[in-house]
Amino acid sequence: MKRKHLGAIVVVGLAVVLAAVAATSQAATTRQAKTVTINLYASGDVNVQSLWQQYLIPGFEKQNKGIKVKLIFSEHGVNDTPTLARIGAAVKQRKWPGIDLVDAGLVTTLATDGLTQPVKKATAPNIGNVDKKLLTPVHGAAIPYRGSSVVLAYDSNNVAAPPKTLSALLQWIRAHPGKFTYNSPNTGGSGYSFAETVVDSFMTQNVLTQMQQGYAPQLESNWKQGFDLLHSLNQYVYQGVYPNGNQAVLDLLAKGQIWVAPVWSDQALTALKTKQLPASIHLTQIASPSFTGGAAYLGVLKTARNKVDVYKFVNYILSPAAQTQIINVMSGFPAIPLKLMPKAIQNKFADVSANSLRPTYAQKQQSDFKAQWQQTVP
Amino acid sequence: MVLPPVAVIAVFIGFPVVAAIAYTLGRAGGPNSVVASLGQRQFIVQKGVTFDAYRDILSNPTIHRDLWATVWVTIVVTLVVVAVSWAIALYLRLTDSWLARTISALSVVPLFIPVVIASYAILVFYASDGFIKTVAYHLGFHGFPTLGYTLTCVTLGEIWVNIPFGVLMMSSGLNGVPNNLIEAARDSGATMPRVVRSILLPMNVIPTVIVATFTAIYVLGSFTVPYLTGPTAPNLLGPSMANFFNSFNQPQQAEVLAIVVFVLALGIGAVYVWANVRTGRRSGLQS
Amino acid sequence: MGKRAHGQTLGVAVMSAIESEGVVLGGLPEAQLPAAPLRPRRAVVRGAAHRIAGVVFIVCLLVFMIGPIAWLALRAFSGLWQYPQLYPKDWTLSGWRQVFNDPNLRHSMRLSFEFAPIVTAASTVICLPAAYAFSRYRFPGRRFLLISLFATNAFPKIGLYISMAGVFYSLNLMGTFLGVVIVQLIGTVVFMTWIPAAAFSAIPRSLEEAARDVGAGPLRVFFRVTFPLAAPAILVAMILSFLASFDEAQGTFLVGVPNYITMPTEMYTLVLNYPEQVAAVFSILLAIPSVVLMAFARKHVMGGRLAEGFQLR
Repeated sequence: MKRKHLGAIVVVGLAVVLAAVAATSQAATTRQAKTVTINLYASGDVNVQSLWQQYLIPGFEKQNKGIKVKLIFSEHGVNDTPTLARIGAAVKQRKWPGIDLVDAGLVTTLATDGLTQPVKKATAPNIGNVDKKLLTPVHGAAIPYRGSSVVLAYDSNNVAAPPKTLSALLQWIRAHPGKFTYNSPNTGGSGYSFAETVVDSFMTQNVLTQMQQGYAPQLESNWKQGFDLLHSLNQYVYQGVYPNGNQAVLDLLAKGQIWVAPVWSDQALTALKTKQLPASIHLTQIASPSFTGGAAYLGVLKTARNKVDVYKFVNYILSPAAQTQIINVMSGFPAIPLKLMPKAIQNKFADVSANSLRPTYAQKQQSDFKAQWQQTVP
Repeated sequence: MVLPPVAVIAVFIGFPVVAAIAYTLGRAGGPNSVVASLGQRQFIVQKGVTFDAYRDILSNPTIHRDLWATVWVTIVVTLVVVAVSWAIALYLRLTDSWLARTISALSVVPLFIPVVIASYAILVFYASDGFIKTVAYHLGFHGFPTLGYTLTCVTLGEIWVNIPFGVLMMSSGLNGVPNNLIEAARDSGATMPRVVRSILLPMNVIPTVIVATFTAIYVLGSFTVPYLTGPTAPNLLGPSMANFFNSFNQPQQAEVLAIVVFVLALGIGAVYVWANVRTGRRSGLQS
Repeated sequence: MGKRAHGQTLGVAVMSAIESEGVVLGGLPEAQLPAAPLRPRRAVVRGAAHRIAGVVFIVCLLVFMIGPIAWLALRAFSGLWQYPQLYPKDWTLSGWRQVFNDPNLRHSMRLSFEFAPIVTAASTVICLPAAYAFSRYRFPGRRFLLISLFATNAFPKIGLYISMAGVFYSLNLMGTFLGVVIVQLIGTVVFMTWIPAAAFSAIPRSLEEAARDVGAGPLRVFFRVTFPLAAPAILVAMILSFLASFDEAQGTFLVGVPNYITMPTEMYTLVLNYPEQVAAVFSILLAIPSVVLMAFARKHVMGGRLAEGFQLR
């Protein structure tokens, strides 16, 4: 009796589900959209998500009726493997990857591997305004859309005189065990920048230039001294564990667990504005060498759909109005020349702009650097 | 009748597995041309095979540490899961109180919690401001170590995730032991520990082997638990595989790690098959 | 990912039972009697020391198993909560509001609830005939196929995404509803064949033959005799399929972008990126269907029903 009953449950359940399949697949066909949709894949920290979701996309959609932008957001790196696999396979087979525009660390890899549209072919007028120097590391196949730099954050309640140079910083770290940390380079750019800055301080300008402009694996032996120094810092770093991601470092600063750390200026300024960081946290830049900074890139995929509309979107992002928004929301730097920006912004950045920041290595060099850090430091 | 599921697996998993193996041996043609055009530090040959990719990654000191971490965590988790699930299942088998039923219900809870959430919950629980630290603080242990982001936390998380399966399997096995056998032994004066030792234990060998081997295989290949709760390095092979893919752009090395995990899992699986064949043969002799 | 592995293990377990049935039951016809728990025996926990040890073990187990979930649940309603306070000082529902006001999250929740039952149904339809064949016919390569069904699933998926993407593109399945169903189905195949196969094997052939003798056709025999007897095990397999599909994150992302992004994928972002409260709220929401399932299925999963699948012929 009982068993028959159960059998009936299974059968009825199956029938209901199959009916649901039929219903949804029908609904899917009737629900065809008439507007053009641009699919944007973005990965990064939460401030990147809100920049797109709350500002750039609504702003663009308001001006361009009939074009919708769909944001596919992924926490730093978690979905980059499937995404790269997908894009690689799609472009290879000349198919649409389901994604048109990418804003992620991934873009530089895509550009280097020839999966994105060269900027030369871009039809949007504002793209002509971006700094040509920023195109070198990505072989002219990705569009810089905002700049940011890594700065030193410190808790002014506990640190009266922050270190002004790299060597002073290293001294401070040794003098205050457990009060400094940086995230592991493969989980975020702020920790990466600190590690690269330390390693760079041991290298000649010539070697540095080669690594910034191309891939020079034969020169990697020059990293040894820097990595040794980083390794020797393990005992002074907070709990001897490197946090995962830029945000995790900010959290430690906010909770007062550490006093000094490298952070992205845009992220820290935003966190200060939203009170996620207490006002006692101050930001400063160090010298000789300074922390690296750089641009965030957009990549238009070779097999993107509706490229005309995608470029329309990119054009909007590079317009002075949108750039002003990026600066205000993200506290980033503009990607177009200051003279095109409103007066107030020009004054704000009187002595700094995206392209005067110290550049980082080219993409492949960075991958090797992260691998070797993982191998030698923790 | 057998064809549909076998075909699905062969096309969508079997074929990629074969391609992956070929790629680690240096063959970059056909289905591997996409990945080969993306990666760096690759070892490619046109003819024959090369083991350079294996040599490259297996001589990497970080990987050695990750491998050891993986092996140790796997062993500890397996032992604890077997022991705890034996204890719970035995208690269930021998008593029928509301307490036993409550415990059995609680011990399968993790089966129904998605792993992402489980890992997150465990991380928060053992974090520097989590429950354990808070309770320790109130009990006067102000310097109690933080377990979040350590291999201990990974181990605890893996145990948590694997206990339901262990309990289910062990109770199933123990339920298969007939009551009258136990009663007869008790009536002839055997103590309870003796009953456990000479009746329940030998009759529950196969479920024990299953729990041990499959817990071990699960831990070896796990990603989410160590990714969310583990330290930067050394961590289990799952997250370091992801690192080689995403951060270091070395897909060939990542694939080699995948194959290392695969081979270890197959080795453990072989133990299980061997145990089955052996008992199967013995029972064949009996009947 | 995790739940799928559990399913595999269960499937394997059942299979082992197929093979080891002789030793468990050999010469013990009583084993077919329902294995009811024994009467409580005071002797088991004789003495105060034993009892205290037992209580300590149980308390530790409780804290270990339930603590993390309960602690997370508290977070979902808490305002400011700083270490080392034992419980939050103020309470709020803002996390809940944030989740329900986010259209993306709502959409992904709905998708998850659509995919999981469909995948379960599809998997049942595809795999049950295979399970029946595996249990009833001794064809060449039978054991090889059973074992390779499992072995292929032991390969870490992350190493397969690129070639999998190639296959899905070649078959024009990328980004389609069907493609997502397939990628989730892959993880359910093993136990949808193994557990029912064990259950079918447990049903004595003589029963089917008897039904046939009184004139029932093969289909009628299957649906009136075999299927009802195997139903509990099939139900268990279906529940595990449901959970596996519900839990699948990266494969779904690989195939489903841009239209089908389900809850577990969003979960990664939430867990790592949002204020803790929101993540906690979402966790609770994700756990609800599982808890409902558990309430419904516990009796079958725990109450010896699974064990029934082990008592084979």
